[in-house]
Amino acid sequence: MYPAPFRYHRAATVEEAIARLVEIGEGARALAGGQTLLVWLKMRFDEPTDLVDIGRLPGLRDIEQEAGRVRIGALATHARIARAPLARQIPIVGDCASGIADNQVRSRGTIGGSLAAGDPSCDWPVLLTTLDAEVHCRGPSGTRTLPADGFVQDLYATRLEHGELVTGVSFALPGKGSAGAYVGFKRCAPAFPTSSVGVQLTLNGDDCTEARIALGSAGLTTIRAKAAEAELRGRTLGAGVIAKAAAAAAAAAEPVADQRGSPAFKRSLIDALVKRGVEVARRRARGETVEVSHEYY
Amino acid sequence: MSWTGTSVRRKEDDRLVRGRGLFTDDELEPGMLHLHILRSPYAHARIVRIDTSAAEALPGVACVLTGREVAAQCDPVMQLGPPPCDKIRDLPMAVDKVIFQGEPVAAVAADSVALAEDAAALIDVEYEMLDAVVDAEDALSDRSILHEAAGTNRTWQGVYEYGDVEGAFRDAAFVVRIPRMQFHRFASTPLENNACIAEWKRQGGVDFLCNNSFPGFAQQLLAPGLRLKADQVHIRTYDVGGSFGNQIWNYVYMAVAALVSKKTGGRRVKWAETRSEHLLASGHGNERTYLDTEVALDREGVITAVRSRHIDDCGAYTRYEPLGCVIWSQVLAATYKVRNLRIDFTQTVTNKCPVVPNRGYSRMQQLWFMERIVDICAHELGLPADEMRLKNYITQFPYETPNGCVYDSGDYPAMLTRAKELIGWDRWQKECAAGRKAGRLIGIGIGTTLDSGTNNFGQARIMNPYLPFSGNSEVCTMRLDLEGAVIVCLGTTPSGQGHETAASQVAADVLGIDPSMVHVRPGFDTAWNTFVGHSGTYASQFAVTGLSAVHGAAQKLKAEMRRLAAYMLEAAEEDLEFGTGAQGPEVRVKGTDKAINYWYMANLVNNNNALLDASLADVTLNVRHVYRPPFKVPDTERKFGNLTLTYAAQLHIAVVEVSRETCRPQILAYAAVDDCGTLINPQIAHGQVHGATSHGIGAAIMESLDYDESGNLLTGTFSDYCPITALNLPDIAWGNIETPSPFTYSGAKGMGEGGGAPLHTMSAALQDALHGAGVIVTGSHHPAPRLFEILQKPNRAEAVSVERRGGKQARR
Ligand SMILES: Cc1cc2nc3c(=O)[nH]c(=O)nc-3n(C[C@H](O)[C@H](O)[C@H](O)COP(=O)(O)OP(=O)(O)OC[C@H]3O[C@@H](n4cnc5c(N)ncnc54)[C@H](O)[C@@H]3O)c2cc1C
Repeated sequence: MYPAPFRYHRAATVEEAIARLVEIGEGARALAGGQTLLVWLKMRFDEPTDLVDIGRLPGLRDIEQEAGRVRIGALATHARIARAPLARQIPIVGDCASGIADNQVRSRGTIGGSLAAGDPSCDWPVLLTTLDAEVHCRGPSGTRTLPADGFVQDLYATRLEHGELVTGVSFALPGKGSAGAYVGFKRCAPAFPTSSVGVQLTLNGDDCTEARIALGSAGLTTIRAKAAEAELRGRTLGAGVIAKAAAAAAAAAEPVADQRGSPAFKRSLIDALVKRGVEVARRRARGETVEVSHEYY
Repeated sequence: MSWTGTSVRRKEDDRLVRGRGLFTDDELEPGMLHLHILRSPYAHARIVRIDTSAAEALPGVACVLTGREVAAQCDPVMQLGPPPCDKIRDLPMAVDKVIFQGEPVAAVAADSVALAEDAAALIDVEYEMLDAVVDAEDALSDRSILHEAAGTNRTWQGVYEYGDVEGAFRDAAFVVRIPRMQFHRFASTPLENNACIAEWKRQGGVDFLCNNSFPGFAQQLLAPGLRLKADQVHIRTYDVGGSFGNQIWNYVYMAVAALVSKKTGGRRVKWAETRSEHLLASGHGNERTYLDTEVALDREGVITAVRSRHIDDCGAYTRYEPLGCVIWSQVLAATYKVRNLRIDFTQTVTNKCPVVPNRGYSRMQQLWFMERIVDICAHELGLPADEMRLKNYITQFPYETPNGCVYDSGDYPAMLTRAKELIGWDRWQKECAAGRKAGRLIGIGIGTTLDSGTNNFGQARIMNPYLPFSGNSEVCTMRLDLEGAVIVCLGTTPSGQGHETAASQVAADVLGIDPSMVHVRPGFDTAWNTFVGHSGTYASQFAVTGLSAVHGAAQKLKAEMRRLAAYMLEAAEEDLEFGTGAQGPEVRVKGTDKAINYWYMANLVNNNNALLDASLADVTLNVRHVYRPPFKVPDTERKFGNLTLTYAAQLHIAVVEVSRETCRPQILAYAAVDDCGTLINPQIAHGQVHGATSHGIGAAIMESLDYDESGNLLTGTFSDYCPITALNLPDIAWGNIETPSPFTYSGAKGMGEGGGAPLHTMSAALQDALHGAGVIVTGSHHPAPRLFEILQKPNRAEAVSVERRGGKQARR
């Protein structure tokens, strides 16, 4: 429960942080909110020689809107996002931010860290995949922009290169008729979800013109439920159509058995959460205010 | 006016909420060593070799202690059980083999706790794996034996039989058979983990600051273990953040810390358990399996006999066990009047964390069993849940149970009425019926339970006739200090229950002063001469043992003060009254302004005694009172006798709906009615009810200590174990009735444990919700994934059978 010894550095600028990480090499890790990394260190799953604290880098925690796009700095905490006007303006963002863990974790954990951790139970990668977001990165060889979908490649592995940092994420403001919902199901605040589902629909009345569905805690990475999306796209939403989409999402999941439940249970849960997500998205698209977030059991 | 019965503000909260409490781990001083314990990653393995050289070479490491050294320095701890338990070698560290995951194999003391952990990582241990047994029945096959010298994993077996069981089954109108039920493993998760600071004294002996909750017992075990005299083991506690019984056996770790201190030449050594260690290896609650249960009922649905076979799984060491093999029989037939019972009780060790007393200890398992029986019979015979209880409740008090226990007082039907009012029974009945028709899995359930308090330790002899234990006792010392302040020391080890407040109320009532004028010392200290072998906080007894001791001490002090005042005021004792005057607390001559205040009385005895007459030579204003409840040694042959003094009762009702979508068991309404006799401090009692209810709901739907087949703990972090928090709790409607106990001076009954009421209640509510879906609730743990599995494969066909012997069905 106490980390192995490490050296601690605090970088003043993004450039300095990257330089430090590169210079130290394999043994160095960036430290943002520490809500994943410090747990790993305490459990001694990881024993880096150096931590480069990026937590106080300037200019990386802002939430801005410009030219139809939302941009969130990598160091914006879950709590900051949950409190931002954005969370009400785009309720699916609020659903996600306010449901993560407990107050303590939300006040320190960051959206960039959540992506970079590559943890299939983290909520942001799922939400950002649902919103077709982009991940902005800056590394030793410059800046690049990657799609959120596929950013996490494997269990605890992302497309980031060593020394490369996430600087922010961005996504298009949902257009007219577009609404979504993010629902997680978990046992208690400090537990990761048993399953979570992000749904974003573009509706014209009940006709679905566009759909994106992503699943969390459902496999080794975020799973995009493309077959489920196809069940909705171009169809009129009704119980039968929604049930088919939910079943397709459940079939796309590759859950593993653990203390949170059997694969069969998790599939049935995904089925239920997709239905709930579609229902909430549909009501929101009609202009209703609907509160959903993580549900505890 | 009386302070008893008043919600006096908790005195201890002033320091606790300001962050000025002093918990063991808060104590820090230069030069102190920090201990880290290296633990076995395996559940069952032989230790082939331990190499500590790299750890010892690390700068900042003071010493490393291994099991071999422990074995050389320390004697195995006394085992309470009869043979084969006497062959169990229980040392605070594994020597030749490990028998549960997390068992200590070495300890490192270093300048910092992080350094100690770094050093522990350098210790090289070679293990040779052995087969683990994690299931109780598997363990009883003895295919892999934990304690080889004992020759078997079966640590205790005995039959408890009362009345005419055969006759009752012969005459039964219905026989309900339930082949298997299971009570799961969980623990109460105190906020503060185990901790101790040990200092081996140059003059011999050892000092401990710790959070042990039963120091009277710990001293008796530690002294011979450490080869010291009892008086050389100095134990002190201060603020303690919860115990729930779990902290009873941290004496094991106290022994390790003591030996490390000894090895370092007497440096102070601190050990503060981490949460992971706590979950893995501090102590879990007992698991119990109930096999071949048969229930005989008459035509009306009155239960006439119960017979069953119980297997208790106590983990790797017996430690406080096999006391649990008898403690459950304090509540043999729970709140029901059935008089013919036969329980064949076996206990086994398994390769899991040892069990410890855990809030509701051993009785909760029996109460859950009886509640399941009553509830399953009601459902199978088509009897309404409330009527079934009313037909079977005990209604006359005091009531002698078939095994000789005396239930002091109670009124279960009145509690049921109160709980029904609180929850809105009729409305929910309708809503449940309509909901079920519409396909909802919704139900309402009743749990009635007992919190038996103030043990007769004589019951230990039912388990092992040679144990030198019986009765119970607690101490209070009280004095006027040099300035006349009332100073109270307790033999109990408060861990959040407000002992300072309640003791002040009791003393204030006797002396006729304000509770703020009574100073109760926080914590416990063997050096105060305020303890006996039973001293501690456990088994729902403070309100009876602790406060009776305070009451007795206050009366003794008052008698001395009265004599002194009569002499000084030249008045007859009968003409005096106690109260508070212009100069603070005083004794005065009734109807006059002649008075003597506490300061002057203290001054006379302590600094100014030439003024006193020789007849007052025995007045010291420093008294000690030991309270002893009126117990006899039980008849060990018949397993018969009064095992507990008081029986507080709890009656809870829950409305629960299982989501068809997610299988989440959602509590829609919850009511808790309590009866702990005369309330001393209603707010504290209310808090205890909330705490016990939360623990029980947590256990019922969230918390379970699960192991895989190899004995690896699967729920070893809070993210996996998920202890309940406010976010998972429903609103709890609280109600109270008071049936004063005729056996205690105040009419109060112990009530800290709460009898596991929510476990019974949640099982009953789920039974009601799921019976229509073909589910019989035979387990105590109901998280959504488990409800999903059971709904996939309803078990009613195998889980229960009803034999109807002619006649009509029980009345609907
Ligand atoms: C008890 C508990 C419960 C939790 N429950 C949930 C939950 O329900 N849902 C959920 O989504 N999360 C949960 N979390 C995780 C939490 O959201 C973390 O905050 C988040 O996963 C990581 O963010 P961080 O800022 O703390 O990153 P850190 O822990 O500081 O870093 C995590 C990893 O990402 C790297 N990293 C961090 N920032 C960057 C960056 N900008 N660029 C490149 N690499 C970077 C680090 O080097 C490290 O490898 C929980 C955490 C805890 C402790």
